[in-house]
Amino acid sequence: MNTYTRTVRDALYEEPGKKAKKQIAVATAISLVAIAVFIFFIAKAFYDNGQFDAKYWSFFTKYTTWRFIANGLVGTLEAAFLAGLMAFIIGMIFMIGRICNYKILNRIATVLIEFTRGVPTLLFIYFFFLIVPQLGINLPSIFRISIPVAISACGVVAEVLRSGVNAVPKGQKEAALSLGMTESKTFTKIIFPQAIHQVIPALIAEIVIVVKDTTFAYVINFPDLMQNAKVLISNYDALLSVYLVVAVIYIIINYILNKISVAIARRTQTSPVITR
Amino acid sequence: MSIGELLSVYGEKYLQGLLTTWELTIFSFIGAMIIGVIITVFRVCPIKPLRLFGEFYVQIFRNIPGAALLILLVYALPELDLILSYHSCVLTATTLIPASFCSEYLMSGINAIGIGQIEAARSIGMTFPLMMRKIVIPQAVRFSILPMTNLLIATMLTTSLASQVPLSPTDLTGVVSYINTRSVGGVTSFLISAFFYCITAVVIGQLGNLLDKKVRILR
Amino acid sequence: MSENTVIELKHIDKHYGNLHVLKDVNLSIKKGEVVVIIGPSGSGKSTLCRTINRLEGIDSGEVLIEGEKLPDSGKELAKLRSRIGMVFQSFNLFAHKTILENVTIGPVEVLHMNKTEAEKEAMELLKRVGVASQANKVPAQLSGGQQQRVAIARSLAMHPIAMLFDEPTSALDPEMINEVLNVMTELAREGMTMVIVSHEMNFARRVADRVVFMADGELIEENTPEEFFEHPKTQRAKDFLDSIKK
Repeated sequence: MNTYTRTVRDALYEEPGKKAKKQIAVATAISLVAIAVFIFFIAKAFYDNGQFDAKYWSFFTKYTTWRFIANGLVGTLEAAFLAGLMAFIIGMIFMIGRICNYKILNRIATVLIEFTRGVPTLLFIYFFFLIVPQLGINLPSIFRISIPVAISACGVVAEVLRSGVNAVPKGQKEAALSLGMTESKTFTKIIFPQAIHQVIPALIAEIVIVVKDTTFAYVINFPDLMQNAKVLISNYDALLSVYLVVAVIYIIINYILNKISVAIARRTQTSPVITR
Repeated sequence: MSIGELLSVYGEKYLQGLLTTWELTIFSFIGAMIIGVIITVFRVCPIKPLRLFGEFYVQIFRNIPGAALLILLVYALPELDLILSYHSCVLTATTLIPASFCSEYLMSGINAIGIGQIEAARSIGMTFPLMMRKIVIPQAVRFSILPMTNLLIATMLTTSLASQVPLSPTDLTGVVSYINTRSVGGVTSFLISAFFYCITAVVIGQLGNLLDKKVRILR
Repeated sequence: MSENTVIELKHIDKHYGNLHVLKDVNLSIKKGEVVVIIGPSGSGKSTLCRTINRLEGIDSGEVLIEGEKLPDSGKELAKLRSRIGMVFQSFNLFAHKTILENVTIGPVEVLHMNKTEAEKEAMELLKRVGVASQANKVPAQLSGGQQQRVAIARSLAMHPIAMLFDEPTSALDPEMINEVLNVMTELAREGMTMVIVSHEMNFARRVADRVVFMADGELIEENTPEEFFEHPKTQRAKDFLDSIKK
């Protein structure tokens, strides 16, 4: 009886025998050296170009620097939150259109979902940045970034929600209807709460995409993290260090979101999600 | 502008844009597959440092926004005396990011096979290479067809990053920005590019479904 | 060691971290002998079964197959494994292969047998276990009992000198257990050397030449089924037998 769970990855190899153990030890040593050399060359490139100089890094000890970064982060989070909220609402509408009993609505919803999933976020951003003003509509800048990001995400949200609804066993609906609930009450009280429970990991994974897409806010001059980074760069003439720190901040945020998604998926025994 | 005007003035731009998008998509996807397979081999191999390197790679490129990576490549690398052409910068960004997802899909494909079949293969006397060739890889590849289809579409969407650098010819997204910063292209100018993206995505999706139906493993 | 000992385990020790799962286990199995290993769950009986073809490595001790020491890796290990059949609790048929291919893949790929010959033999084996009509289906289309019988055929196709059964009926619905046990009984009658980890006491009583009782990683008692079930010598064996009688 196995007392600890192994993954396929571990099962691929034999439990190493004496000879194999020796080979693995040698390979480990070689790979460590290779990685060390790799890191050395990166460090050397930094050093040779003076990128370790204090002037590129010292301002990160200043409170104002971090306050400025934090302000940018707030902008990012505002845009991401607004976009996420809109994506959820539109996605919800699309999903209902997709599963309702009217064939025409099904078709329209399907086309719209495929459309939003097949067009890059940047193209939507250019649409709201360049073309919408041509129509005489002037949106506040936060909407110019969050609406296209939301549109780009809503198709996926709709499909995620639909997969959740489909995953609720048929018997649930039948049981609710037999209690005398109406179709709509059955959906809102019985089906949907269970569906949403199923797809929370997928929805969190989608937030990662939303956060990533808000980085295009610099296109429309909305003050998000990326845009504030530019200001820091011109203030301190420190390009590489600032962009590196900003990239790391994004990576950490998204890493945490993905970890949460996986943790919830594990707890609710749904499969974790890989997006884009 | 009407669709007729747009196509007569900018028709060639759109066509070049479409071809650029396709070209970037195909090369990025091939590159992503190659790097993704290598990273996956690292992640499943019994050598700890390589495993960690593989995990590290995936976590970095899964989580970095495309714009942030592209900006690092375009503006930050020259600070290290490493100057790539705009085209190479775009291609690097649109390869490295999908490669991490490629590896994630392959890992879940391998995990889907299950330990049991691997033990069964071993117990009928298959050596490691034979087991990989006959049991693991054929199944992992089949499990991966739909995810890889999605990855190809995602890669295409990622190539819109090309519009962020001056490229000539530019891609489908860049064309829309090009036209509308010079004249009033209107909604139609957007819809033409959007249509090309969508039709490409739909064709890729259909082909993927077809292929998947052919080789799907019943479970 | 006598001449016709097929499998011999000497002083086997194994740990999972701090857990001592096999404690100085000694066991030898003669040609044509049917040995059923029983014991409470977590007693190490499955682990013991899996050490025989080194699906589980051991910390110390020796596994001898026909007097030859089991190599700990590489081609030699694969070769020895090909001579010992193994049937798993969860069947583990290759999901991307048809039933027929599941049975021929070993002979063709490992023993380099000619494909038509392998197929002919495979069909006979499938007929013998009663699933010949399913030959061109894929595993997922078969019931658990059918899948397990295919798994037995897959092992038999390698012409094994002995077969290991790791709880072969534990994952089956009650109505399918007998169809698998019948095939196993048939095999025993034909003189196959078998090591079986099982909870099927009636089967053990009927078919086993020897019953081995394990608890907490130790081999507590071994005897003929009559003696073991009627007059267990140790208190732990008595407790175990009482607990399963309810």
